[in-house]
Amino acid sequence: MSTVHGSEAPADAHSAAVNSRTPLKKRLQHIYRPFRQTSRISRGLIFSGLGVVVFFLLVAFVAPLLYPYSGTQYRKEVAPGEFVKFPALAPPSVEHPFGTTRDGFDVLARIIDAASLAFVVMAIAVSIAMLVGVTLGLYSGYRGGKFDRALVTVMDSVYAFPSLVMAIIVGFVLGSILTQGVFSAAAAVAVVYIPQYYRVVRNHTFSVKQEPFVEAARSFGAKDRTIVGRYIFFNVVQTVPVILTLNAADSILVLAALGFLGYGVPYPIPEWGLDIAKATNDVAAGIWWTAFWPGMAIVLLVTALTLVGEGLNDVVNPLLRTRGKAGRKIAGMPRSRRKNGDGGVTRSADAVRGAAQEKLAAKIRDLRVGYRTSDGPLWAVDGVDLNLRAGECVGLVGESGSGKSSMGRAMLRLMPPGGVVQGEVEIDDRDIVNAPESTVRKMRGEGISLMFQEPMTRLNPLMRVSDHFVEMIRTHQPKTSRQRARTMARDALMQVGIPPTRVDNYPHEFSGGMRQRVMLAMAIVLTPRTIVADEPTTALDVIVESQILSLLERLRSEENVGILLITHNLGVVAEACDRVAVMYAGRIVEMGPVDQIFNDPKHPYTRGLVASTISLNTTELHSVGGYPPNLVEPPTGCRFADRCAYAMDHCTKVDPELTTVGPEQQAACLLYPGAGADVPADVRTPSGDPQKSEV
Amino acid sequence: MKTGSLGRYLVTRVLLAVPSVFILLTLVFLLLHAAPGDPVTATLGGRLPPAEIAARQETLGLNDPIYVQYFNYLAGALTGDFGNPVTDSRSVVEIILETAPATLELAAAGMLIAVTLGVVVGAIAGRLRDTAFDVGGRLFGVVIYAAPVFWTALLGQLLFSVKLGWLPSSGRAGGFDAPEQITGFYVFDSIITGDWEALQSSLLHLILPAVTLGLLIGGVFIRLVRVNMLQTLRSDYVEAARGRGLPERNVLFRHAFKTALIPIITIVGLQFALMLGYAALTETTFSWPGLARELIDFVGTRDYAAVQGIVTFIALVVVGVSLLIDIITGIIDPRVRY
Repeated sequence: MSTVHGSEAPADAHSAAVNSRTPLKKRLQHIYRPFRQTSRISRGLIFSGLGVVVFFLLVAFVAPLLYPYSGTQYRKEVAPGEFVKFPALAPPSVEHPFGTTRDGFDVLARIIDAASLAFVVMAIAVSIAMLVGVTLGLYSGYRGGKFDRALVTVMDSVYAFPSLVMAIIVGFVLGSILTQGVFSAAAAVAVVYIPQYYRVVRNHTFSVKQEPFVEAARSFGAKDRTIVGRYIFFNVVQTVPVILTLNAADSILVLAALGFLGYGVPYPIPEWGLDIAKATNDVAAGIWWTAFWPGMAIVLLVTALTLVGEGLNDVVNPLLRTRGKAGRKIAGMPRSRRKNGDGGVTRSADAVRGAAQEKLAAKIRDLRVGYRTSDGPLWAVDGVDLNLRAGECVGLVGESGSGKSSMGRAMLRLMPPGGVVQGEVEIDDRDIVNAPESTVRKMRGEGISLMFQEPMTRLNPLMRVSDHFVEMIRTHQPKTSRQRARTMARDALMQVGIPPTRVDNYPHEFSGGMRQRVMLAMAIVLTPRTIVADEPTTALDVIVESQILSLLERLRSEENVGILLITHNLGVVAEACDRVAVMYAGRIVEMGPVDQIFNDPKHPYTRGLVASTISLNTTELHSVGGYPPNLVEPPTGCRFADRCAYAMDHCTKVDPELTTVGPEQQAACLLYPGAGADVPADVRTPSGDPQKSEV
Repeated sequence: MKTGSLGRYLVTRVLLAVPSVFILLTLVFLLLHAAPGDPVTATLGGRLPPAEIAARQETLGLNDPIYVQYFNYLAGALTGDFGNPVTDSRSVVEIILETAPATLELAAAGMLIAVTLGVVVGAIAGRLRDTAFDVGGRLFGVVIYAAPVFWTALLGQLLFSVKLGWLPSSGRAGGFDAPEQITGFYVFDSIITGDWEALQSSLLHLILPAVTLGLLIGGVFIRLVRVNMLQTLRSDYVEAARGRGLPERNVLFRHAFKTALIPIITIVGLQFALMLGYAALTETTFSWPGLARELIDFVGTRDYAAVQGIVTFIALVVVGVSLLIDIITGIIDPRVRY
């Protein structure tokens, strides 16, 4: 693989944005980008930490030039050749702002000198630890095998050992071999951190090694050295700055501890810990300044370095990033441009007819789901209407990021921090979106159940499956006995084809497919009127898939449950659903009975979607070109316009509404009259089986 | 035994601890033999006639080849013989029996304070993310960890002993106040002998060192518990639990909190080891007659033999504690048992 010419095809927009010709301002913005995504508080902490660190650097390397005394000076020259000793234990004064010590040294001068010592030791110690730890970690993690296992055991043993005791012994031994001084102290400090770097880098290397991109490089015949150097090293070192800053902070404490115990640098070299040790007797006499100031210096510098390290961790670790509360409003959220109320969506035939005639499992009106993202707030679901009838299965399909899963969660008002839901979701004549939390909580699981994606992580690893059931059943029906709840659990498990004897197993004792069925059993155990199944069969084998689908089928025909089946698998939809709703960029663009949508899709996007699925009579694999729009700044007009083969001039100006295009079929496309604009006379509208005709 | 059973897990853990013990003992031996000279010359050189020194070297087996010394050392350590100091007439085992209870009493009291503080403040801060409480708790955790334990100790002494006179500044309960020694844990001894004055004195002496130590480790716990709580709160199964309509109280305590505690238990084990290091500082500051202080003194007199013996004992304790932690985690978390 050539990387020299690799710049021709930049991997993503960001790396493209930053090259040598980029102006400085742009580059800084690029570096600052991840910081912008953290909370203002975290940012404040990082930058005040940085400020203090810079201050200490100035103290260490500039202040000695300005301050009149040095740390080991105990007298001053009042006239040529004539010296006056400093008073011992003088309290803070103008002459000695922080006072003097028992030996008549100026406390402030010692603090200044000790600061540079601290930075030097920190630099040496962290460099040694990093060099040794990172090298060993990379090598051992990449090589694996016996060597790796042996080194892991050794490092783990050392890691578990009290680090300070280890540092004392190493400092003591090194101090006897060499001489006690800055280097022996730094080396003693370094020993403490080698296992840490080793562990982190080794574990990271070990996991990165198995990543597809490394395997790919290996399959292209890249040399081991290249792989470790280029692919693994750069991935792994990203974790280093965090440990580095935190260790830098810690190394000051270890140095001070060594100094305090007398195993750091020898007196009278100024060192904060050593100075505190010297001040121990002063404290008994009620003298505070000799011990207080050096300690204060340690606290300030270590706090500052820790804040920087923790802040970086917040920045690097995206898990901790999103914040804010789930609710109904986000400040700064752009108003949704779709018209509200009667004029717009609710005019759709589906809504009117459904509301008038049938018993509905769920009635959704003008549903919106908003998130705050690093690029700004956006509406992931932007004004959706849908009627889910009792005993009906509606498939909700669309690309990743089209808002399907958000819509499923919003139907239970289950929002991550920073997410908002607006509109109406009526279940059993009660609106979930605007109800108080206690009402919503009662309806979840009993009125409406959600079957999540990723069954592997949805069960509490510490609880038996039976406990999950008992907890849930007794939450909703406090009068049910434990015994009864367990029986209900067994029945539900039996329904999904899991032997009831396994009710007391732990989640990790089940396979993925079985866990998915356990989740389904929990979803149906309280016989809710509505089930939202989010990708219930993804990652399952075909046999389990068809078992789950037939169970859903039975639920709706026998128990009259309404099911919203979220999936991107049109095959599943064809097998299980009565109707399909196609979602694109937060909106439903087409809706209708399954056979009509498959055989005669009206919206160009649906045509692309249907054409892209492989069936027996396809000879060519189609796909919809281009990418979905950025929802932070959604385009005006039709959101599909720039990917659409049929796009007309006014498609980028007029926002199409759902309009009837066939029996029970609606599409939001300006190719059809009623969608919001006049259709020009010469327009060719697509029709017929998309598998046969070209899109 | 079937895979995943607790019994099997325990046996594996114990077997895995063996190499750990072996490695640590070897490291200790190598490190201390890397120092130049021998223990007798280092401590007594120049103060005793050469003939006397040679005789002592012979008695201590220092003239044997290094591998013989190594095997004698290993054999001794495994049979509970940690050797004899050069500068002290007591054997290392006697020293340990005499001083280890003091260290363990201090460490246990410190750990109790640390865990209580860390779990309560950390869990609340995690739940109330980015509120004043959270920021305050985090800052407290960072600052208290940044303060050297001997410095906080000195400030505590200055305030509570020297200025206010509320608490004794150093040592354990002594003289007539000391309880009859049964276990060596003063608080425990005074309770079982019903000696309430001794209990009061023991507790008063314990407060300042234990709080100093507890605050320090507590700072670490606050930060850890908070982050774990944050991560668990956004885990898939917590969302799923909400999706099943469980009340927030149950979601928090049964689903989030309990899982968030598992890594904490592991950390408690690691911190316990760290604490033995910090104990060296606390004991020095408070003249607490513990094992760690004894070790520091022996390092000071360059008594390798005693240092080697005590460090060996500490290594065994550390391995023992981590074994214990593994067992506890195994009982709580069914996933680790295979």
